[in-house]
Amino acid sequence: MLFNTVHFFEFLAVVLVLFYASPRVLRRYILLLASYFFYGSWNVKFIPLLLTLTAIDYTAGRWIERTPRGPRRKGVLILSLAANLGFLGFFKYYNFLTYNLALLLGKPTGSFFLDIVLPLGISFHTFQSMSYVVDVYRGEQKAVRDPIDYALFICFFPQLVAGPIVRARDFFRDLLDWHPPSGDDVSQGVLLVMFGLTKKMAFADQFAKVANDYFGNVAAHPGWHSAWSGVIAFGMQIYFDFSGYTDMAIGMAKLLGFHFPVNFRRPYLASSITDFWRRWHISLSSWLRDYLYISLGGNRKGQWMTYRNLLITMLLGGLWHGASWNFLIWGGYHGGLLAVERAVRGNRPLSDKWTWLYPLKAVATFLLAMIGWVFFRAANLPQSRQVLAQMFSGPAGRDLLLPWHVELIGLALLLAIAEEKLDWFDRVAKAPTLVYASALALILFCLELFGVIDAQIPFIYFQF
Amino acid sequence: MDSGPKRRYGRRLVLACLAACAGLIALDSVLFRTGFYATILEPDSSTGLCELILRREMSAQERYGDRLVATFGNSRFAWSPREIDRRPGPHKYEFRNAGVAGSDVRAWYYMIRDLDPTARRYKALVFGVDDYADEDRYYNPNDDIRALHYVIARLRLSDVPEFARSFDSRELQIAAFRGGLLKGIIFQNDLQAFLAHPIKRLSYVSLCNRSWPMWVYNYEETPNSMAGLQIDWNTLKVTFPPGVNQDQRDTVNNFLAHEPEPQIGRVAAFQRTWYGRILDRYRGSPTKIIFLRLARGPVPRPDNLTHKLSSSIRELASRPNVMLLDEHVFESLERPELFRDGMHLNREGIRRFSYMLEDEITRVLDGTGGGVN
Repeated sequence: MLFNTVHFFEFLAVVLVLFYASPRVLRRYILLLASYFFYGSWNVKFIPLLLTLTAIDYTAGRWIERTPRGPRRKGVLILSLAANLGFLGFFKYYNFLTYNLALLLGKPTGSFFLDIVLPLGISFHTFQSMSYVVDVYRGEQKAVRDPIDYALFICFFPQLVAGPIVRARDFFRDLLDWHPPSGDDVSQGVLLVMFGLTKKMAFADQFAKVANDYFGNVAAHPGWHSAWSGVIAFGMQIYFDFSGYTDMAIGMAKLLGFHFPVNFRRPYLASSITDFWRRWHISLSSWLRDYLYISLGGNRKGQWMTYRNLLITMLLGGLWHGASWNFLIWGGYHGGLLAVERAVRGNRPLSDKWTWLYPLKAVATFLLAMIGWVFFRAANLPQSRQVLAQMFSGPAGRDLLLPWHVELIGLALLLAIAEEKLDWFDRVAKAPTLVYASALALILFCLELFGVIDAQIPFIYFQF
Repeated sequence: MDSGPKRRYGRRLVLACLAACAGLIALDSVLFRTGFYATILEPDSSTGLCELILRREMSAQERYGDRLVATFGNSRFAWSPREIDRRPGPHKYEFRNAGVAGSDVRAWYYMIRDLDPTARRYKALVFGVDDYADEDRYYNPNDDIRALHYVIARLRLSDVPEFARSFDSRELQIAAFRGGLLKGIIFQNDLQAFLAHPIKRLSYVSLCNRSWPMWVYNYEETPNSMAGLQIDWNTLKVTFPPGVNQDQRDTVNNFLAHEPEPQIGRVAAFQRTWYGRILDRYRGSPTKIIFLRLARGPVPRPDNLTHKLSSSIRELASRPNVMLLDEHVFESLERPELFRDGMHLNREGIRRFSYMLEDEITRVLDGTGGGVN
């Protein structure tokens, strides 16, 4: 049940009606059942896996809280993390590891191959689950008493399959002290859902056609012009696709009285790669910072250790996206850039002032991010090399982006700069009804004119 | 929060959503229902072609007054106004071809409604049909989504529910309802193509507005023929003449040499509905409605191959002002050497058909024979 389908909106309408028409004590159960139904609509077989992980981490949380500080408490934590990483590793990385092992041993690459189907959203819900157990271990989060509450935390349908990765404290704050959404929340929620849907269908899916065309047959599109336009198309696709999904998730949560953190903050306006990661998939980057980078020592153990930690964090962040050398290199590339920036900047704080230099820095950051996307999107390493070679050498070739694609990028850029400076989204949500309705009408009109309506292109991050 | 503010917020949201929907329809209407966008449509698209034809025919109405005879049909109803003009002697009526390749009577209904809002602008409307009896073929005419694209610029908001219901499949009903209500969905590709090269589009539109009627007027069909084509109707085995291409073979196989389909009355219902609606518009009008049976093919399919259950055209001809040409009148054209493939006349076929068409229609309109009322 994709977010960009009529079925999903029917489902959402039913959930909203049932949720608000029911007595308060039943509402958690309704959300839980709806979430399992939503997950089961993809593949019922994975519900037992979700239940197992939920049971393990719920028990681990309770056990850790009861256990005094010491090796035993740590042992329970390790057990829980091992279970999560074990499931994640098996489903996501088994074939990748055994493929490379077979290569090392000189055996046929399929020697240890298993026909494994990746459970939907496993990367997201295991990270969410692990953060909860670690927070309980660190004493930053009380263990949840009610298993229903915990199960809902793991499987809440708006963010179950592709995030944002919500911290336990944020979720339980809203769940345990639930208030009906305010008028502003409802206004923002509806606007976010429609805005996200438009980002996905009118922007991401249009750029997807260009990117898929290019990466589907790189050799058929020679020249640096083709390569850059194909890569930029993918850069646009992934941003609008993922941030569109996230906007919808946050909007739906708001309609149900939950407040999820912002996951994207106009990343292509970033003035450096460090700034980029403060704006891109914020829930993952902050998760990696809090549970990996800081655990590795962060920047507390000297310059070289900081660089090492950045590199390891981003390598693992890359690997989190998928089991392939491409994702590892993508992570390493960003880790390397972060380390270089750190070396150049030293301990000076990041400046986000808009000076005359800012546009230049933003363009440079954008181009660096685009180069990174080559590894993310290419089917394999040889194709990544082929694309990079095309981007930096050879004839000009043909621009794959049509003028109206460029007009869409221009429109998005204007809206992003306006949001950065004027915070228009919030203003519109709080504006008088006529202004608010006009904004909704414009969003819908954009969806009507540019939305890829019948193709139902899946969200990119659903595969992770 | 007490119930007062909650109710206020709820009211605001409902109001905002309703206003947003109204705003969306208003924006869509400003762009696509004012007639502006129809003037810059890609002339080579189905909708663009339909609009070009309508513009051409509307301007012809001013020039020719009450002498106009308009023909409606698909690509099989091909005749040449130039051939008629070349004939010596006075021409009592001005024949205009308002047909569109691939279209059907559902599309013609909406075209005619805008072309002749008073139902008095034409001396006669002539419809070319494959057969006076109703034969169901492999496709369902109700579910031909091309109709939506031909008439999208002509659909009014009040047409939408009825037009959508005219499709059988639920999926197409939804597509037609959605597209009829929000035309931007149907014009999406055209608009994106326009935004890609606006100057090029505007120049091409301007060129077509100036020259397209002459291009069509001067167009000459290919002289290629199917001479030598034979069909054994017992075995449906076709003997093609040497040198025919795949398209020519396909038209013969699909249009002529096919097994009969089960006769379930689909075509009859479709024709009764849409011709019926056209005839209803012309009830009490001086405009004559004339049906003619087109030449059936290079080798006509024997009537006894399919047991046809009804004849909606003959039923409709019992209404006042409706005429049928003798169904055998164009049989002399049913020869392989006058067809370019299995269903379309070639250059010589069109020339002969054009003359015959003028003669027969003139005769019927003048009441000097030929017509069956």
